[in-house]
Amino acid sequence: MDHALELREVVKRFGPNIAVNRVSLTVERGQCYGLIGPNGAGKTTTFSLMCGYLFPNQGEIRILGVTPQQQGALKQKVGVLPQDAILPPWSKVGFLLHYWATLQGLENPERCAREALDLVGLAETWNTAAQALSHGMAKRVSMAQALMGDPPVVLLDEPTSGLDPRIAAQIRQLIRDLKGKQTIVVSSHNLQELEELCDAAAILDRGTLVQSGSMSDLTSIGAEFRVQIARGNVPLAELKALRGCTGASLEPSGILTVSFDRSLVAPEEIITCVVALLAAREVLILSVSRGRKLEERVLQLT
Amino acid sequence: MGSIREISIIGEAELRRMLRSARAVVLLGLYGLFSLLVLLIVGSISKAFQASVNQQVAAQANPAAIEQAYAQARLGLLGFLFSGDVAILEALKEIPLVVVIVFKVTLVFLPAYVALIGFDQLSGELSQHSIRYLVVRGKRSSILFGKFVAQALLLLSLVLLVDLGIFLYAKATNEDFTWLAMGKSLLRFWLAAILFSLAYLSLTSLCSVLFRNPALSLVVNLAALFAFWLLDVIGRAESLRLLRFFSPSQYAANLLHPRLSEFAISTAGYAGFAVLFLGASYLVIRSRDV
Repeated sequence: MDHALELREVVKRFGPNIAVNRVSLTVERGQCYGLIGPNGAGKTTTFSLMCGYLFPNQGEIRILGVTPQQQGALKQKVGVLPQDAILPPWSKVGFLLHYWATLQGLENPERCAREALDLVGLAETWNTAAQALSHGMAKRVSMAQALMGDPPVVLLDEPTSGLDPRIAAQIRQLIRDLKGKQTIVVSSHNLQELEELCDAAAILDRGTLVQSGSMSDLTSIGAEFRVQIARGNVPLAELKALRGCTGASLEPSGILTVSFDRSLVAPEEIITCVVALLAAREVLILSVSRGRKLEERVLQLT
Repeated sequence: MGSIREISIIGEAELRRMLRSARAVVLLGLYGLFSLLVLLIVGSISKAFQASVNQQVAAQANPAAIEQAYAQARLGLLGFLFSGDVAILEALKEIPLVVVIVFKVTLVFLPAYVALIGFDQLSGELSQHSIRYLVVRGKRSSILFGKFVAQALLLLSLVLLVDLGIFLYAKATNEDFTWLAMGKSLLRFWLAAILFSLAYLSLTSLCSVLFRNPALSLVVNLAALFAFWLLDVIGRAESLRLLRFFSPSQYAANLLHPRLSEFAISTAGYAGFAVLFLGASYLVIRSRDV
């Protein structure tokens, strides 16, 4: 498959501190990719390297075949929502978007700017000064500038942080709508959001790539399921003896985790067998869920 | 899209921003007030001096001698201001003394004024990360030169306005100063101010791109101006004469020189400084993290 974005052995140092240490990852075209990690993991630094804001000390970065650090290379190829960039307070929203769309070389800058603003539900702020916008509105205007001209790659740093739940849901829907049409990279602390939106992700910790892969691999959705037990004695030995089962464990909180080998048994078969066995042993069940929460995976790895 | 187009888009947006902000008005007011103050002081001293000469001419039996003494005094003053070059003194003969003195004084504070205009042109954007909206849309060099062009246009317009005010004052107070002479001198003085200002504006660009903190870039800019002034002063000693050539002000006097060769050397000096500072700014912006 054709890579939209590729990082190879990228290192970024700030003085003696290594912010990003030999990170390699690839994002395929049309994928929605998450950058995950705790504070100080190197997410924003990796993101800034992808946008060409920072220069790597070592390694190579390619976006759609170009190096982001090359002057003007990202023009019309990439739209970016930077996390901490302040909108110039002196200008009206319409002026700013029109200015940036013109600089971007879009054919009809005003139409593109108005459409993007409309997309984030802020068409009425065209004549509003940036300094008069609330934090949430400024974030959406910033989102609008990233989407202007439908760039093939969209890089979003913390797109929903600081937004109220309703607006955050709108932004998530907007990202969902972009999926498949554009390549999206989202850096976020909100793991539930990333789990819901992304096809694949990279987990970073202290500047190092801990794990990367598809969301189903990261959450073990194809090799594990969990059963919330209400009461009853769980027959762990019998469960482990089921065909394809590679392990079963019961946590004190009543969560039964069953892992299995996909090559031997299909998920729906083993889930049905386990539930039937538990029911036969009069074990009462509250819920069944496939895989584990991304949050748990991240906490386990970082 | 070519770089020239990017530079013009950025330059136009930056110019509009500056014109809409109160800062342009404040700076114009500041520059205008300072020039007015100098003009009033120099004007009143010059007027009192002229009145005294007129009185003596009326009282003395030999008015030609007094007139000659006055001309000598004027020449002495111009010589002090323009290193005693006879050709310059001759060329400035037609221009009212007040204009020449005010121009010379404004050249002293113009570099600091330039620093005030442009110290945050890039450091302001770097500190707020708003430059990140631009670097994915255009070349970094276009951002640097676009902002430089906008600052230069604003500065040169302000200088022209103030110079025009000074020349109009001179015209109103000197009957001998013809409209033609005024127009020619205004153009010459303005051109000299352009060359002078652009070199210092380049220095301001360099200081602005070096630091993320606007206050720090202003302080370093002012420190560099002080260092140049120091070079100029130290370079007055015969054994350290060479040092003066490293200070832009060394080339200021000949900007009004009537001989093309002298004027060209001065122009080349300022152009050299401008290219040096702008070139360094370009090297910094193309390789620094934003």
